[in-house]
Amino acid sequence: MSAAEYPGLPAKPGGRWKIWLAIAIIAAITAVTLAPGIGVDFSLDAIVRNWRNGAEKIGQLLVPDWSFFPRTIEPLIETLQMAVIASVIGAIVSVPLSMWAARLTNPNRITRGLVRTILNIVRAVPDLLYAAVLVAMVGVGALPGIIALVLFNVGIVVKLVSEAIESGDPGPGEAARAAGGTQTQINRAALLPDIWPPFINQALYAFELNVRASTVLGLVGAGGLGLLIDAVRTFYRYDQLALIILEILVVVVLIDWASAAMRKRLK
Amino acid sequence: MTRISPETPAGAATAASAPWSIRLRDAVVRYPNGVVGLKKISLDIEAGEMVSIVGLSGSGKSSLIRTINGLVPLSSGTLEVGGHRMDLARGRELRRLRGQIGMIFQGFNLAGRTTVLNNVLVGRLAHTSVPRTLVGAYRQRDRQLAFEALDRVGMLERVYHRAAHLSGGQQQRVAIARALAQEPGIVLADEPVASLDPPTAHAVMGDLRRINRELGITVLVNLHLLDLARGYGTRLIGLRAGEIVYDGPAATATDADFERIYGRPIGDQDLLGGQSAAPTGTPA
Ligand SMILES: Nc1ncnc2c1ncn2[C@@H]1O[C@H](COP(=O)(O)OP(=O)(O)OP(=O)(O)O)[C@@H](O)[C@H]1O
Ligand SMILES: [Mg+2]
Repeated sequence: MSAAEYPGLPAKPGGRWKIWLAIAIIAAITAVTLAPGIGVDFSLDAIVRNWRNGAEKIGQLLVPDWSFFPRTIEPLIETLQMAVIASVIGAIVSVPLSMWAARLTNPNRITRGLVRTILNIVRAVPDLLYAAVLVAMVGVGALPGIIALVLFNVGIVVKLVSEAIESGDPGPGEAARAAGGTQTQINRAALLPDIWPPFINQALYAFELNVRASTVLGLVGAGGLGLLIDAVRTFYRYDQLALIILEILVVVVLIDWASAAMRKRLK
Repeated sequence: MTRISPETPAGAATAASAPWSIRLRDAVVRYPNGVVGLKKISLDIEAGEMVSIVGLSGSGKSSLIRTINGLVPLSSGTLEVGGHRMDLARGRELRRLRGQIGMIFQGFNLAGRTTVLNNVLVGRLAHTSVPRTLVGAYRQRDRQLAFEALDRVGMLERVYHRAAHLSGGQQQRVAIARALAQEPGIVLADEPVASLDPPTAHAVMGDLRRINRELGITVLVNLHLLDLARGYGTRLIGLRAGEIVYDGPAATATDADFERIYGRPIGDQDLLGGQSAAPTGTPA
């Protein structure tokens, strides 16, 4: 067969059974989770039964209530404020934490391991859960939302930036050590200059994620558009919900675009 | 090309500290993985010497150089630099001693995304407080020393350029300026010209020689090319498998001596060629 395809073509490497095995395992897991009794309660039946109902809602969603716009401005701005404030605070906190978490900038295994462990825990908790707990602690409003976003930001920025530091060039740091610098001086004078680009890059990326996340945090009472979404949903105002979704879409696209343009210029 | 005037008396301009001697006694370096880098080496280098260190790859050249400024710790034996016990120094004292020893690397080791000036100021870290370093507020005197050092290697007009935008030879010059800004008693160079083309290699070696002659600084250079070792050093040390197998004047070292150091016949790959480097020559 291969000889017909092209003269001298080597035999195909084996090992394709691994792919089939993987597919079989995934299929098995899916079957188990859907199995009645032990699996998730899921049936196409429900979709068919609620179809009429759903079609009506979708119809409403397609016709946004434009007159609702003035009432969305304030929550929209609050959402953006939350995202911006949380991104800035998160970024500032992330600089020293990233350096504590990377071997190149923190040779001390104990403090490095401690910082990494704490951050793994911080990252493991979903932002919506932070917001829910914080709302219970400090009350409804933007503050719990901001704190939740800061935790979310620090979790991802520190992980990505400390990995960028690890893969960086140890040379400048070695030169600064040889010149008699302390670890802090080495980090600041010789390593930080080359860490800036990945850092700004990840901080902007976190900001993009923040804008998205901040729109839903209000669902649990943490300020911004989410609060409004919760309100209109309660009153089945899908036309108003449609407007809010449209606004989020426009803002997210604009910010993604601006942030991508900025990151491009950094390269 | 360089701004060092031949009239400058040794030790004048930047060298505030006197040149330093180096004394190693029964120095052993054993790495954590068990590899022995240096086997009981004893060595005296007087203040103001210019020493070439040669040997095959893996013979311990880098181990020796990096031991002298404490980047590699001694497993046993003693090390004195400028009369101070380097092997016993820790923390602040170790950093103070390192501040007196400049180091030049094969890969230049500059922070590419910042300016030439910021890179040279790294040479002043041992004399700068941590808060000052954090906000980048170096003292006027430190900036002055950085400018002076850059002027010496002919790189002053590049002071605000990004380090990454310079050629290899220019980057190594900046790295030399960084070492000079330390006002060092010793300069260590680990294969400083191994990634440069022949004319640039001679220019950089010429800079190191001038540092030694005009500022009187003790200079140790690792080299794997024997014409450079012979041409620029006043003393030659040959290493093999972590031991000193040759120690004598560089200029009179014969090809037979090199063959004994290398344990094989020498050939073209051991020579840089290009501009001949007569030991007494004064390059333009
Ligand atoms: N950090 C290290 N950990 C373990 N072993 C090391 C380390 N550095 C060097 N060695 C080993 O010590 C020996 C001497 O190495 P060294 O780097 O001093 O040689 P060198 O003469 O500088 O060689 P080259 O010309 O290749 O740079 C080698 O066997 C090397 O593998
Ligand atoms: Mg080496």
